[in-house]
Amino acid sequence: MAEEKSMMKKEKALHGIYEQHILTDVGARSVYKNGKRVGYCINILINYYRGLPLSCIDSIELWVDGEQVRPEDITCQTNGKEYPYLKLLSDDMETDTYWLFGDYMRLTIAKEGGITPGAHEVRIRLGTRRSYTPTLVSECTKIITFA
Amino acid sequence: MRTNHDIKRGVSLYSYQNHYYFKKMSLEDCIAAVADLDAEGFEIMPEMMIPEFPHISDDFAAKWHGWMQQYDVTPIALTHFADRLMWKNRQMTDDELYERSVLYIKAANKLGCKVIRLMHSYHGGKPNASSMYISPCDLINPKIVERLLPVCEEYDVTMALECHAPTSIDDPCHQEYLEVAEKTGIKRVGLMADMSSFQIKDSKASRDFHVRKGGNPDIIDYLREVGSRKHRGEEIDLDEVRAYLKEHNANEIDWAYFNSRVEFAMVATTNETLKKYASQLVYIHAKFLWAEEDGTIEEIDYPGAIKALQEGGYKGFINSEFEGNRWMSDLGLTPEIEMVRRQHVLFKNLLGY
Repeated sequence: MAEEKSMMKKEKALHGIYEQHILTDVGARSVYKNGKRVGYCINILINYYRGLPLSCIDSIELWVDGEQVRPEDITCQTNGKEYPYLKLLSDDMETDTYWLFGDYMRLTIAKEGGITPGAHEVRIRLGTRRSYTPTLVSECTKIITFA
Repeated sequence: MRTNHDIKRGVSLYSYQNHYYFKKMSLEDCIAAVADLDAEGFEIMPEMMIPEFPHISDDFAAKWHGWMQQYDVTPIALTHFADRLMWKNRQMTDDELYERSVLYIKAANKLGCKVIRLMHSYHGGKPNASSMYISPCDLINPKIVERLLPVCEEYDVTMALECHAPTSIDDPCHQEYLEVAEKTGIKRVGLMADMSSFQIKDSKASRDFHVRKGGNPDIIDYLREVGSRKHRGEEIDLDEVRAYLKEHNANEIDWAYFNSRVEFAMVATTNETLKKYASQLVYIHAKFLWAEEDGTIEEIDYPGAIKALQEGGYKGFINSEFEGNRWMSDLGLTPEIEMVRRQHVLFKNLLGY
């Protein structure tokens, strides 16, 4: 419906305000366990003017150097809590932990060997539900330098 | 600064969101900025600026009330949201939304907020063929409000039904909510005006943004003028406008501007209507997107609106809600503090204090 498309475009412009800031290079590095690189992490910011319960994250899709990261390899850590990404999408995900406005969520991606230090192209598509508008899907692509 | 004035100046801290997001200002800094305006109070969006929400500690509350005393400001309102779509494959039931809304009411009470901005089902009007507003679900319906009324009575909080464009205070759809208050005799819900319903022209912030993105200035200005006429209730021949655009080789940005600023431009509610409803309003968002240094705001007739509120007997807060940042994020950190300061220059002139 034409009005819906218009509304979506308007919402994109309106809430695109934070879109370009989702990806940050803060603390972008490999992750270690017992002296071995077992993955890598990146810190992201929310695409909305308020914090949301983690259950309101509709989708996180990630591509690193053109290759899509498997959902099951992603862990989300924020506000003192840590959850596998797929747990956020479950029907019984708790509703009291917020991804706070302006605060980092650390995405840890399980990968043997971690990530090679240096610049990598990272692309994220982040969907968040806020109920009074259709789900907002924001896209951000950046060259991130990993330690 | 607290006074006995009927109409009190304030700020919704939503106006300072970029400064908060980019860690330029803390919550306390934002409250101090409100005090610097000699304004009386503010609205807090706890999900933006209070990390402990929804379970606010006694320690935080003590610190908060200390700030209220130190800065001599009133936390008049707290912003409620209705997250019906709480899970990907499951929605909140009315019971669950009721429970969650109680958390906002309790938080408001703990922080000393007498009003909560309620996100009711018709926050953006009733979705219909001519409405741009499409919520994917029901928000807070009258049945839930009826259950919340005694809770509000217990916690000394009033629910403000925010009537945001494309709806307005005189839209009959809001009456359903007022009727449940009448029925129960618990008068803890009322109408709240958002000045977006009174918009008579597109803002300079939006106009400039579209030009920066590649819109043709002459076409954008032409569309802005036509849009303004539509806002003021004039019948506009849209086909004539489309013909103009084709004739002048309008580009994608020009067409997008036509779509959002002309085609779907809402007919503004009049100041006469505002005067008629003034005495029953419980709260007001003074929406704006750009202010000149002398306080001039093109998009809404604030001189006329404030006069209407005074003549109509409004008693309550009129809180700045700056939203220009959405059209200025490409220019670096939006001067939110300065913009709100300018609106208060205007309000001080209009109110006399």
